Amino acid sequence: MPLAEKNGIALFLPETYDIVWSLVILVVIAVCFYKYIMPKFQAVFDARAAKIEGRMADAEKAQKAADEAKKKYEDQLSQARVEASKIRDDARAEASHIIADARSRAESDAAQITENAQRSIESQHKQALVSLKGEVGTLATALAGKILGSELSSSATQTQMLDKMIDEMDADSTK
Amino acid sequence: MVSQVSTQLVLAAKAGPELPSVDDFLPDPILFQGTPFAINRIILIRIVATIVLLLVMCITAKRAKLVPGRWQGLIETLLEFVRDNIVYQVMGEERGRRYVPMITTLFFTIFVFNLCGIIPGMNMAATATVTMPLVFALWTFVQYWIAACREKGFLQYLRGELMPPGVPLPIDIILGPINLLEALIIRPFSLTVRLFANMIAGHLLVATCLAFTQFYLIEASNWAVKPVGVLWLLGGFAFVCFEMFVAALQAYVFSILSTVYINQSYPEVE
Repeated sequence: MPLAEKNGIALFLPETYDIVWSLVILVVIAVCFYKYIMPKFQAVFDARAAKIEGRMADAEKAQKAADEAKKKYEDQLSQARVEASKIRDDARAEASHIIADARSRAESDAAQITENAQRSIESQHKQALVSLKGEVGTLATALAGKILGSELSSSATQTQMLDKMIDEMDADSTK
Repeated sequence: MVSQVSTQLVLAAKAGPELPSVDDFLPDPILFQGTPFAINRIILIRIVATIVLLLVMCITAKRAKLVPGRWQGLIETLLEFVRDNIVYQVMGEERGRRYVPMITTLFFTIFVFNLCGIIPGMNMAATATVTMPLVFALWTFVQYWIAACREKGFLQYLRGELMPPGVPLPIDIILGPINLLEALIIRPFSLTVRLFANMIAGHLLVATCLAFTQFYLIEASNWAVKPVGVLWLLGGFAFVCFEMFVAALQAYVFSILSTVYINQSYPEVE
C-alpha cells in the first residue's frame, strides 16, 4: 500500500476547516437532539407509559367495581334467602296457630252447643215431668176416685200414692 | 459501489489496479479553498449525512405517535437501546438521565457517519478524518471533567486520580502520573484513534477488494484470471457486510466508553 510518510502523518493532523466543520456539524446535531428530537420522543414514551398505566388503573377499578357488585348481589341473594325462609317459617307458624285456634274454637263451640242442648233437654224433661206429674196426678186421681170412690178422697193418701207411682215410673225410665 | 469505483478506475486507466491510498482521506478542498470554511469531499459527505440524519430524526419525532409504526418502532428500539443498555446499565437511571441525550447524539451521529463508508456514491465514512472522532472525544472529555468537578470537586478528583486510595506510596509515584495521563490524554486519544482507524481500515479493505475486482474481472484481457476477480468481488461483499457491523459496533463502543469515562468521574456508590 503506497503510504507516503508525509501523508501518513498528515492523517493525524487536523485541518482548520475540518475542525470548524466538525464542530459546526456536531453542535447542530447536538442542538437538534437536545432541543427537539429527544424531548419529543421522551414525551411520546411518557404519554405511552401514562396511557398504559391509566388503562391498568381503569381495569383495576372496573374489576373492583365488578367484585363489589358481585358481593352486593350475593349479599342480597343470601339476605333474600334468609328472609324467604323466615317468611315461610312465619307463615307455617301462623297457619298452625290459625288451625289450633280454629280447632279450639270449634271444640269450645261444640261443647257449648252440647251443653246447651243438654240443658234444654234437661229443662224440657223437667218441664215435661212437672206437667206430666200434674196431669197424671189429676188423671189418676180422677180415675182412681172413680174406681175407688170416696176411699181415696184424703189428699194425704193421694199424694203418697202418686209419689210411689212416679218413683216407679222413674225407675222404669232410667232402666 | 462497483460502478463508482470502476468509473474512477476507468478514468485513471493504468496498468495496475488503482489501489486506495492515504490520499483518499486527505482530499483537496472543492469549495471555499483557503478559508476556515473550506469544504472537501469528506466534509461534503459529512454535511449531507448530517442533513439526512436530522431530517429523518426530526420527521420521525414530529410524526411520533402513541402507537408506533414500523419505522418509529425501529427508531424507538434504537433510542431505548442507547438509553437502557448503554447509559442506564453503566450509570444507573438516576445518574444517567442527564447524559441520555448526549450519548444518544453520539451513537446516532457516529452510526450514520460510519455507514457513509458503504453508501454508494459516498464510499467514505464521514468519521474518516481524525477531526470528527476527535471532536466527539473532546465532548466526552469535557463532560467527564465537568462531572468530576461537580461531583467531587476539581482538587478532590485530581487527588483521587493521582493517589488512588489503598495504594502504597512507592506505587503511587508510578501510578499517579499514569492515571493523570490517562484522564488527560489517553482516554480522548484512544476514543479518537479507535474510531478513526477502524474507518480508515474499513475503507481500505473494501476499496482494495473492489479495485482488484475491477482489475481482474473487467480490465484484464486474460480469461484465466477472471475467477480471481470473482473471489475479490466476494471479498468485497463480505467486507461491505462487515463494515455495516463495524459501523454499529464502533458507535456502540464509542458510546459505552464515553458513558464509562463519565461514570468514573462520579464517586463510588457505597
